[in-house]
Amino acid sequence: MSQFARAGETFTLSLSLDEAHILINLTEQLLELLGEGDFQHHYDEDDPFAALMAMQQEIAAPEDPVLRRLLPNAYADPEAADDFRRYTEPAIRKGKQNSLRTIREELLIIVDSEQTSVIKGLDPQLWLKTLNDLRLALSVRLEIQSSSFEIFENMPDEDPQKAIYAVYFWLGWLQENLLELLNSETTDH
Amino acid sequence: MVDTLTDIELSIEQLLERPWVCLVWDDPVNLMSYVTYVFIKLFKFSSEKAHDLMMQVHLEGRAVVASGSREEMEHHVQALHEHGLWATLQRDDKI
Repeated sequence: MSQFARAGETFTLSLSLDEAHILINLTEQLLELLGEGDFQHHYDEDDPFAALMAMQQEIAAPEDPVLRRLLPNAYADPEAADDFRRYTEPAIRKGKQNSLRTIREELLIIVDSEQTSVIKGLDPQLWLKTLNDLRLALSVRLEIQSSSFEIFENMPDEDPQKAIYAVYFWLGWLQENLLELLNSETTDH
Repeated sequence: MVDTLTDIELSIEQLLERPWVCLVWDDPVNLMSYVTYVFIKLFKFSSEKAHDLMMQVHLEGRAVVASGSREEMEHHVQALHEHGLWATLQRDDKI
């Protein structure tokens, strides 16, 4: 069973091989989605000139509902929203991509080694935000509402959606687990 | 009288300097504990104030979490989006 742990300022995550595979799969799907469009071409490299040129282009709200949730409009007025997006979205996208890549690499070490099932010295803020992004992405696909946990509990086991719901609620549990540790006193060495 | 005049001056100053607000909107996904945590992290609120604002978002559908210049509010909205919260900015309705 997956669980975060904390000793002073050092955070670790223990998880099973299956759980690591599920998380790798989710991070890869979201990375692929975030890389869609012109952004990948312009922002994969740290080229300030390419970034400047891309900034001259029109950037509209993404078509995919997951991306619209992860990169929402900042203004009700579409023109102001697009203008804001042009200056901020590349950095937000890049931040999310970098965090997903970090987590994916940490998970790959577990999967590749087949010996250790613990990620040591992880960045709790990066994990917290990224677990949240993964939950947001799944929530759009599952059309999560406040009543969704009841729906999940009453779902027959043979329903193919049930496993995805289970992953969604598991991620929420993990995130809550990490938050409790972040909010706990730091004196418990 | 002096107090009243000071109050008026202050409110005019606020009108001029604080015409923008940053709003956070309710969604059924972000954990209440996470929203509270992000408010404390980004705005340095006390845990009580952060919790109250989170509850306002949850119960009323939205809450003003900051007010100030447009530039400051854009900065807050960007940070909130980085954390996956649904945030917008607009001119303060009250003005």
